[in-house]
Amino acid sequence: MNQQETALWWARVRADGPQRVEPGGPVPPGMLRLVEPDAAGVWLLPALPDSAGPAVLDELGLQGHVLEHPNDTARVLAACLRCCWTEPTGPLWPGAVAGWAQVASVFTAITSRDEVVSHRALLAAVRRLDRSGWLLWDEGTRTIRLGPRAAAWNPAQVSALRELWRSMPAPDLSAAQIPEDLSQ
Amino acid sequence: MSLLTGMNPVFEPVLAELTERHRDEVLAAFAAVEHSPEPVPEVELLALRDVTLRRSLDELLHRVGRTLVPVGGGWTSGYTDEIAAELTGAGWYSLPMTDRAVLVLVLIHSVAVPRSRGTAEGDAWTSGQPTMASELFAASRVRPSDVKAALARLRAAGLVQQAQQRAGAGQSAAYLPGPQLHRLTSAARRRLQEELILAAAPSSPLAAAIRARRSHPRGEG
Repeated sequence: MNQQETALWWARVRADGPQRVEPGGPVPPGMLRLVEPDAAGVWLLPALPDSAGPAVLDELGLQGHVLEHPNDTARVLAACLRCCWTEPTGPLWPGAVAGWAQVASVFTAITSRDEVVSHRALLAAVRRLDRSGWLLWDEGTRTIRLGPRAAAWNPAQVSALRELWRSMPAPDLSAAQIPEDLSQ
Repeated sequence: MSLLTGMNPVFEPVLAELTERHRDEVLAAFAAVEHSPEPVPEVELLALRDVTLRRSLDELLHRVGRTLVPVGGGWTSGYTDEIAAELTGAGWYSLPMTDRAVLVLVLIHSVAVPRSRGTAEGDAWTSGQPTMASELFAASRVRPSDVKAALARLRAAGLVQQAQQRAGAGQSAAYLPGPQLHRLTSAARRRLQEELILAAAPSSPLAAAIRARRSHPRGEG
């Protein structure tokens, strides 16, 4: 892959988030290649050095992006992490498929809100996180997986997340109704 | 995981020529212009102040399809014109049609109209003249609920921002173009202006001049 093609791939990911491509294709230099659990697709996402990532803004005293409903969005991501990362001693990606009810049970437990309000906030945040590649939300089957961006957390971040995982309530497994073919 | 700890085959050829301190400075400036929603003041970072380091930063950006864009006394980054042309030429639009329509309406009300009246100077697509939400609903054939959903997505993307309103200015929310519009290169800003002229007044002499120049791209720069 020449320099121009590499630049084009990086620009596509910048414009549209991590890209799902056919397996077996070339991997642009500097990108992570994440194979889907069924090997039917491969995600490409840029692997920026930590010293060039968004976290640097904080160190420089510059303001980052203003997220909509940042607290609920973070809580929903945490709830999904709790449900999809079934084996926290292992890697995050690809994780397991979690049913909507399972994620909702964790989110409700950490927010202690009225169920209707809670579900509305949950759905809005799941959609936001799906659009930005942090989650993969299948509206048809109402199932959630971690998105490819979750695979780019560095070891220090993963270890902080492991602590968070341990401090969170477990999902209500009796609420989980995952179709068999998706639950592997 | 070595990719995440600093060695990146795309950046390495540029960084290899720098001292360790200058590498850190250039990478910090890369992070600042790429991830900060607003342009970064030149005085704040060595790699923006120093011309040689700034050239290295621009090289780094070019390797990922980006370039430095000057804004006032600062810098941001945007797609290079060649990459932008390739992406759009291949039909690569990351915004849905409705969102693009609503964004264009905000740009017309906040920038194009004030500019044609002579009340907005320069070629920037960010402006201080708010577009009222009621104007967006009245001016478009898009359903109000779809306009609202599009505005929420455009706001999240930094393409529009909500304007501060004076007391008594009415109930309707008002919007301005968002800080992402700073990322347009000067050629992209001109192209946007020309596309609006071609769309709004296709039979005007100005539109004819634009078409003539595009069919003879000599001197285009």
